[in-house]
This record gives sequence, C-alpha cells and structure tokens, in this order.
Amino acid sequence: MDISLIIAQFMSGISHGMMLFLIAAGLSLIFGVMNILNFAHASLWLVGAYLSYTFWYILQDYSIAMWLSIVLTTLSMGVIGMIIEIVLIRRIYNRDLSEQLLLTYGLILVIGDGIKIIWGVDNKLIPRPEIVATPIDFFGIPFDSYFIFVILTGLSVTFFLWWFLKKTRYGHIIRAAVYSREMVSALGIPIPRIYTGVFAMGIAIAGLAGAIQAPIGSITLGMDMSVVVQAFCVVVIGGFGSLLGTFVGALIVGEVYAFSILLWPQGALIFIFLVTAFILIVRPWGLFGTPMRK
Amino acid sequence: MNNKKKLLWIAAIFAAALILPLIIGEFWVHIAIQILIMGLFATSFNMIFGYMGQLSFGHAAYFGIGAYATGLLIVKASIPLHFSLAASMIVAGLSAVVFGYFCVRLTGIYFAILTLAFGQLIFYIVFQWYSFTGGDDGLQGVVPPDFLFSAYSYYYFTLIIVTAALIVMWMIGESPFGYTMRSIRDNDSRTRFLGINVRAYMHVNFIIASMFAGLAGGLFGPFNRSIAPDLLSWHHSGIPVFMAVIGGSRSFFGPFLGCIIYTFLMAFITGFTQYWPLVIGTIIILVVLFAPGGILGILESRIKALLSWKGIDEIGKKTDDESY
Amino acid sequence: MKKFKFMPFLFLFIFLVEGMTGLNCGKKDDTYNMGVILSITGAGSIYSKDGVDALELAVAEINAKGGFLGKHQIKLIIRDDQTKPDVAVTVAKDLILRDKVKVIQGTYSSACAEAIKPIARENKVLHIAAISNSENITKVNFSPYTFQVVPNSYMQAQAVVLGVGALAKKNNWKEYVTIASNYEWGRSTQNNTVALLKKSAPNLVLKKEFWPKLGETQFTTYITAIMAQKPDFVIGSIASQDNASWMKQAGDFGFFKKIPYPGSLISVTELILQAKTIDRGTVGLCRAPFFAHMDNPIMAAFVNSFKTKYGRYPSDWAVMEYDAVYALKQAVEKANSIDTEKVREAMTGATIETTRGKLTFRTIDNQLSCSSYIGIVADDPKYPFPIYKDIVEVKGPDSWRPEQEIVDARKTEKK
Repeated sequence: MDISLIIAQFMSGISHGMMLFLIAAGLSLIFGVMNILNFAHASLWLVGAYLSYTFWYILQDYSIAMWLSIVLTTLSMGVIGMIIEIVLIRRIYNRDLSEQLLLTYGLILVIGDGIKIIWGVDNKLIPRPEIVATPIDFFGIPFDSYFIFVILTGLSVTFFLWWFLKKTRYGHIIRAAVYSREMVSALGIPIPRIYTGVFAMGIAIAGLAGAIQAPIGSITLGMDMSVVVQAFCVVVIGGFGSLLGTFVGALIVGEVYAFSILLWPQGALIFIFLVTAFILIVRPWGLFGTPMRK
Repeated sequence: MNNKKKLLWIAAIFAAALILPLIIGEFWVHIAIQILIMGLFATSFNMIFGYMGQLSFGHAAYFGIGAYATGLLIVKASIPLHFSLAASMIVAGLSAVVFGYFCVRLTGIYFAILTLAFGQLIFYIVFQWYSFTGGDDGLQGVVPPDFLFSAYSYYYFTLIIVTAALIVMWMIGESPFGYTMRSIRDNDSRTRFLGINVRAYMHVNFIIASMFAGLAGGLFGPFNRSIAPDLLSWHHSGIPVFMAVIGGSRSFFGPFLGCIIYTFLMAFITGFTQYWPLVIGTIIILVVLFAPGGILGILESRIKALLSWKGIDEIGKKTDDESY
Repeated sequence: MKKFKFMPFLFLFIFLVEGMTGLNCGKKDDTYNMGVILSITGAGSIYSKDGVDALELAVAEINAKGGFLGKHQIKLIIRDDQTKPDVAVTVAKDLILRDKVKVIQGTYSSACAEAIKPIARENKVLHIAAISNSENITKVNFSPYTFQVVPNSYMQAQAVVLGVGALAKKNNWKEYVTIASNYEWGRSTQNNTVALLKKSAPNLVLKKEFWPKLGETQFTTYITAIMAQKPDFVIGSIASQDNASWMKQAGDFGFFKKIPYPGSLISVTELILQAKTIDRGTVGLCRAPFFAHMDNPIMAAFVNSFKTKYGRYPSDWAVMEYDAVYALKQAVEKANSIDTEKVREAMTGATIETTRGKLTFRTIDNQLSCSSYIGIVADDPKYPFPIYKDIVEVKGPDSWRPEQEIVDARKTEKK
C-alpha cells in the first residue's frame, strides 16, 4: 500500500466526516442551546434530500437546477423547522428527558411514513451537472469531484456558524442563553423567539446537508436510521454545543470509518461506538465541551 | 389497601389468563404470547426507568443477548430450553456487569447516550460476527422442544415463567433494596449521605433488570422460530420506553399495561394499513403532549375524581405506597 | 388507592376478549387467499414493486377467467416485511392465521425467506420464493412446502464462473476483490462464486472481501479502499437499492473505467434505471430477462400486457413473480383441487409452462430448472434501454448443485 492510496482513503474519510459534520452541526447547536436532544434530526435531513429532489425535478430544464435546489431546500427546511418548534418542541422544554426523546422518536416514525406517502418507495436519483460529474485526478487516484464541493460547503458552514455565534448580536445572545436562560430572559430578550430561531437554523443546516447528500448516491427510505446514531457519536465525541468539537468529532468519526474499512472492514462501526463509549466514560462532556449545567 | 384483596385481584387476572386461549383464536394466542414476552421486557426496563430514574436507550441489547444465548444453545448445542433460558439470564447479566459498571457512573442524558452507544456496539458485534451469530440473516432453526411446539402450550409455558418473573421483580421492588432505589431516584446525594453505596446499588439494579430482559429475549427466540439482529438495535430500545410512558412508569403494572395497548394496537392496525409507524408515531406524540402520566395515570385520576365525588374518604389521605 | 389500579385491566381484558373473538370469525367461502410478503419499503423496494405489479396482473388475468379451476377467485393480500426477518415472521403468522392464506408469495430478502420457511411449514401453507434466491432456502432445513422459481445463488455463481473464467483466461487476470451485501444472499452468492472460481481457475487470487451492510447508501469509502487494492477485476453481489447507489457512486468515481466489473447482477431493473450511464460492454448477470425469451408466446403476451397495464417493460422480478402464480395455477389444475396438501403434491416434481419455457421442479429441493443469463450490455434499437447481446443461457440442470452434495449437506444437519 503506497502513500497515494493512504491519501485517497484519507480524503474519502474527510468527505464522509464533512457530511456527518453538516448533519451533526444542527443537532449539536440545538442541544447546546435548547437542551433538547433531537432524535428526528436525521429524519429531517432525509426530508431535505427528498425535498431537493422535488425542487430539482421541477427545475431540471435549467442548468443550475441542482444548485438552486440546494438553496431552496435549505430555506424551506428552515421554515419547516420553525413550524415544528412552534407546534411541538416548544411544549416540551420543561419535560423529562424521556418524554423529549420519546416525542422526537415518534417524530421519526411519522416522518418516515410521511416520506413514503409523499415521495413513494422508489429511490430517487439526481444527476449532477457536468462540473462535478467527472472524477478528478488526485495523486494518481481518481477522486469524485463532487466531494470537493462537499468539503468546501462544510468549511463554509463552519465559518458561517463561527462568525454568527462570535461576531453578531444574535450570536452573543444565543451563547449567553447557553449559560443562563434566566439571565437572558431577565434582560428582556424573548427566549422562545430565540429558541425558534435556533431550531430553525439547526434544521436548515440539516436540510442543506440533505440536499448535498442527494446527488451523491440515491435517496432511499430508511437512510436516516444509521446516520442518526453516527451523528450522535460525532456530537458526543466533540462535546455537546461546541462547534469546534462537532467539527473535530466529525473528522475523527469519518477517518476512523474510512481507515477501518481499509484495514478491517467488519469493524468499522464497532470502532466508532468504542471511541464514543470511551469518551463518554472518561470525559462525558466531550473533547471540547464544558460540563453541562443541570 | 389490604394485601388480601390485592392477591385476590392478581389471582383473578391469572385465572383469566389461564382460560384466555380457550376463548380466542390461534392468531390471538400468538399475540398474547407476544404481550407476555414484551410485557416482561417493558417491566424489566422499568426497573431502571421507574425505580432508578434513569432512561436506558439500549435495553434491547440485553433482550437480544438473551435471545441469541438461547438461540445459539438450541441451534448449536441442542441444550434443553429451560437450561438455555437460565443461560440467557446469566449471559445478559454478565454483559450488564461489564457495561453497567460504566453506565451507572453517569446520569441523565449521559446515561441515556452511553446505554445507546453500548447497545449499538453490541448490535454491531452481533451483526458482524457472521460465523457465530449468522450476521444480518439472523439465526434460523430456533425451535422449541416438541411439547412446546404448539402456540397453546408455549403460551402456558410463557405465562408461568413471566408470572414468576413478575412476582420476583415485584418482591425486589417492595424489598428494602427497592426502596433504596427509589430514594436514589428521588435524591441520590441524600442517599449517599446515609452511607449507602449508590453506584453499587444502581449497578446491581441494572444487572437484575438486564437479566430479566435477557429472559424475555430467551423466550422470544423459540416463539419466533428465528432471531434477527434487529432485535438489538436502538429502535427496538424505544419500544419499552414508549410502553412505560404510555402505561405509566410510576406503577409496577404500568409498563405491562402499556405493552398490552401497544401490542394490541399493532395487531389491530397492521391488519388494514401498512402505515403502522405513522399511527404509532402520532400516538406517541399525542401521549407525550397531552397525557404525560400515561394511560394508567389518567384512568387513576378519573376514578379518583369519581370516587371523591361519591365521598369515599379513603381518597383524601395519601398513602406511602401511592407514590410507589 | 391501589385496588383501583386493576380496574383498567379488567376493562381492557373484557375489551380484548370481545375484540378478539369478534374478529376471529373467519369467513368460509370458495375464495383462494394468496398472501404476498415483499419488501414494499426498505432495501428491496424497487424489485418488490415490480413483483407486486406482476402478481396483480397474473391474478387479474386468472380471476377474469373465473379464478383457479374456474370457480375459486383469488384474493391477493399484500404485506410489507421492511426487509426485516422478524417483521416477516410476524406478517407471515398474521397472513396465515388471520387471513387464512393458502400460499405465501415472497419474499425479497433471502433472510426473510428463511425466517418464514418454518412458519409456512408448521402451518402447512405453500411458500413460493420468486426473488429471494439463496440456495440455503431449499438446500438445508428442507421444507416440502417451499418452492423456488428463481435460479438460486449456486446456479447464478456457476454462470458467473463460466463468464468470468473465460474473461480471466483471455485477459490474463490474476487478482480480484469481492464486494457483497452482508446478508444471506450476498454471502451465499459470494461464497459460491469464490469456491467455484477456485475450482475452475485455481491460479486466481482473492485479495480481499468487502461486506457493506444491506441498506448501505455510502459506498465512497469502499470504492477508494477497493481501488487501493489495485485488483485485476472486481466481483460484486449487491442488489436493488444498494446496487443503484453503488453503481452510481462507483461510476462517478470512474471506477468501472479503471477496473473491470464482470458478472455482477445487472438485472433489467438496472438496465432501465441506468440506461444512460451504464458502461456498454460490461459483462452482466441476470435471472430472468424478458428479451431472452421473446420468441416464447407466453413471454411475448406477458410483456405486452405488462406494458399495456403499467407502461413499462417487466424486470426479472416481474417475470419470476408472474411465473410463480402460473406455477401454482398449473399445480392446482393438476391436483384438480385447491387443497394445499394436494397442490403441494402436484407441484412436487411438476413440469410447468412458464414465460421462460418448459421447466421442471427438481424433487430433492423443489428448485425450478430455470436458467441464468450472462451477456454483454449493449444498445438495441428496439428498446429505450440497453439489453444483453451474445446472451449465454446457462440452463438449470447444467448449473444446479449435484443432488449428492445436497444429500451430504443435509446429513450434517441435526435432526
């Protein structure tokens, strides 16, 4: 095995990690700020993928159909997230953990069947535009050029979130709300509105991830089920609510996965859960998180 | 509430369960077996959830370990079913000794996620260990002994074992150990100040709960004739959570009631629609939003209201056993 | 307070008993209930959909002529197993005990077929496998109620070896890698292919095996890992949804341009779905391509009515499910009864007319003597998608496992 092959596998790990990061970023944001663990996050990601198929289908005569569908999906998933927050999530802020998890678990089942009813059981394919359809040569190994786009998007979302949380007024409010809901609320800032916004943003990122996922393979029912647990692992390893942690966690999971496929394919997912359990045991708040408020 | 009356009720229910297969058709006997097995599973889950106050999202792993232990012993070694069932409890218990050791060091959301992570870890080991477990194909040829082959005889076999297991769990719940668990649930630091080793108690409780989950799994394999790794996965872990919440986790029989409701609904609804997940998902959401105490909680408060209107004075005073 | 906790149980009990005894009254009439268990949702849904359409077509045709024996209308009851064995068992019990079906047509996944086999046998219900084709369904734990109308994984592997062996000799290939879905069918196909290749071309070296799970959607890491092995060729055993994802992702990586991928499952479904992108010249394997038998009037008529009804060409899966219904019809006519025991006896060893010609069920394992097909993917002006050219039809009796080996395999089973 020579070095260029290791680089190729490394790159495929990065791409896998970036996809996971895009899914987990919203999950981590929502949990960090609102203290709600959204089991249904990957299901909404899948809705995003199907939605982007619909947008693409309508627009397919235009050359920018795929790109436009990514934007439209992100925006509409934001709206859907807002609706879900107002109708459902808002009612369970102060409930037990079990009820929060159960509600989002119920949501997974409803969304799964909802997709089946709306889009049917056939899998959907989105052909890519020419620019990202042909593999490029990467150290002598062909590399899917679409993943360059995936990696760039992952980096831009990271940068955007960093900028938003660190540099804008809303970001400051959100970060303050992580530490003390009461204090922020005492300053006259409407917490529910902040929460709606955060949830909508988290779901919009999930939608973006779904739209980006769609042209990679085919979109199928049940894709969300294995992804959601991997996204949990990412968030746990990185630390709840930490953007940097989620980013690093996603890359770790992506690389562990890629290299175990190369060396010991059967063990790929076992390794990921071992790492996750290990982190939980020695450092429950993750690599970059801080011990959580009660 | 005197104990005699309570026993009378239990005896009546048991008697009803005995004659049940004589009235209903074979299909419903299968459903009844499923209710017994899943009811045991849900009740064992509630030892962690209701008594200890921690949410496990990986309880299906122990159910699955039990199922595979019995299945493998029957298929590969032709060990008689009763020994295999005992082995199921032991193997599930031993895995809980290892995994539980780490789990009980965490609480709340971390406990939930660690149990989930361990559950998935076990799931993938079973899934990938093709030569031993049959991987994704599951285990075929898990057949009960001849005298338990018909659904009717398996029903009575299951009924006896599940009843015995429920009695043991109930006794544990009512023992000093059970009350210690409740006090850990309600205030673990105060319990610790009393000189009780909270972690050790939780660990023991986790092991017992997993053993009974293993027993339920052991019963399930021969009933189903085959075992699939899906039984261990995290969606399967969500089922007892739902049963406990819908039935009411603060009472011993709540999860069992939830199991009856869940299984019966499933048998009924899958008969005319393939959208069972949609229906159950909607029910889950509605229960969480509007009936947080579970069905038993609602019924109880209704009956309470009804009785207080009738003026039975027993209602007014709050007894100790009411809050468990 | 506690005494009232039992009240709801009492109510529920009464409710349950009433509900169950009420629901349990089965209707007795001349209808022939036919249960179908396929993967309507889940990993096998593309293939299953075609299967369901063909079943409905066949049943409608027979019912239009009065049903089985001219008097037993067929009632089709279709259920979903989500490609999960435990769900398949529950559904099978439900179909048998509540809907009183006499036959189960299905399933997609071989693991599901194996899981429902004992259930069908215990309840004396016929079970016809038309898509699931792991040879273990009929080789071991034999059930006289289970029939297979699809070339099984051993027969398919024989066909692959024939094709690949010739190519390997011609191109002087030495090393190969396999990628197969990690479940019954993938395992069984891969094992048989590797074993038979070893026999016919002992100098070929298997470098590595990859086992993506059933339902895998992200093949990227597998693709780069396979390319890292630099094999001379790759043999794949991936089906349905997974196959579509795999072939698209591998194609986007330029995988097929670099590494030959001969003898893998490319059914009519794949030919239609990937009409634009599939590489012409690939050597593919399929189970029941309609275009190989257009000279058979039964096939021509079937393709015509399928096209009229659904507006598309039937895939392998449609062809085989259609044959499954007509196999049953001929057995019913031979037995002159819809009684399951008589039908089973009539079907055992029967020779039947199918869309794929005159075929026979082998008595030892109820395997139909159907062919496997290998060919080169190429465009054809008659169809809007590529088909196979230079088709080699590997006949059932030339490719199935010798009876002696089956007897030996069953000897090691415990009784």
